[in-house]
Amino acid sequence: MSPQLGAALAAEEAAIYAYGVLGVHLGGRGDVTEARAAEQAHRGRRDYVVAKLAQLGASAAPSPAGYALPFAVTDRASALKLAIHVEDGVAQAWRPLLPATTGADRTTALAAMTEAAVRATRWRRLAAVSPVTLPFPGRPE
Amino acid sequence: MSITGYGRRRVLGVAAAGLATASLGACGLFDDEPAPPAPPDPLQPLLDEAVALAAAYDRAILFQPGLAARLTPLADDHRTHVAELARLIGATPPSAGPSASAATGAPAETIATLRTAEQAAQKSAVAACQAAPAERAALVGSIAACRATHAEALR
Repeated sequence: MSPQLGAALAAEEAAIYAYGVLGVHLGGRGDVTEARAAEQAHRGRRDYVVAKLAQLGASAAPSPAGYALPFAVTDRASALKLAIHVEDGVAQAWRPLLPATTGADRTTALAAMTEAAVRATRWRRLAAVSPVTLPFPGRPE
Repeated sequence: MSITGYGRRRVLGVAAAGLATASLGACGLFDDEPAPPAPPDPLQPLLDEAVALAAAYDRAILFQPGLAARLTPLADDHRTHVAELARLIGATPPSAGPSASAATGAPAETIATLRTAEQAAQKSAVAACQAAPAERAALVGSIAACRATHAEALR
């Protein structure tokens, strides 16, 4: 399960970076509270993956200093779009861990995927995007 | 009279007894023990739940058309799950129409009821994901996650 964990780590790192970029463009207090909570959640998941990889004796690829964003973030609309994009990506990164794990590890992977999907739904609602849900969160589009 | 005559009767008797035994055996095989039905697929309850959820949304929309814009996409998600699960386990998806329904209350009450149903359904999908073999874990996990997003969408 190390390759899948490596991909989950990369997605969590990218999410932490993205929230740092998009935070300044968000609007009301609701947005900002949501973004802070999301970033904390991603830090927690990242720490879990790092510990898990160490436990498996696998080395994690060093995280890059910066990321190429899929599009420019210049205002609230593009910031919300990036938040949705990032959470969908995190859900997609955790999903391949489900077949690669059992027991408590699968429970953790499912929780991480589900929480990302729920945050994506919250961001879609804040961005007034419809529909706010996907039929198969985590499945590559 | 002859040894041959006696012999023929005896042979017939044995043959008759043999036939009787054979027909009794046939009764046992074909009448008393019908072939046991194949055990239901472990994902059948998840499929049934998706059918029931889709019907619950249809019912809610029927009684409160004002909720249609919000609820229709969620009902569609469940129908997508029904189709995918039915294909996976080789079942014919049952159709539960919105007709079999009780009257529903105020919109807020309807939303709360649907939310409770989604939360319960999420729990059973999480359990199904835990129990699933590797090749089914991702699909069932996505269904569990989708139900969680529905509960969020109904807040």
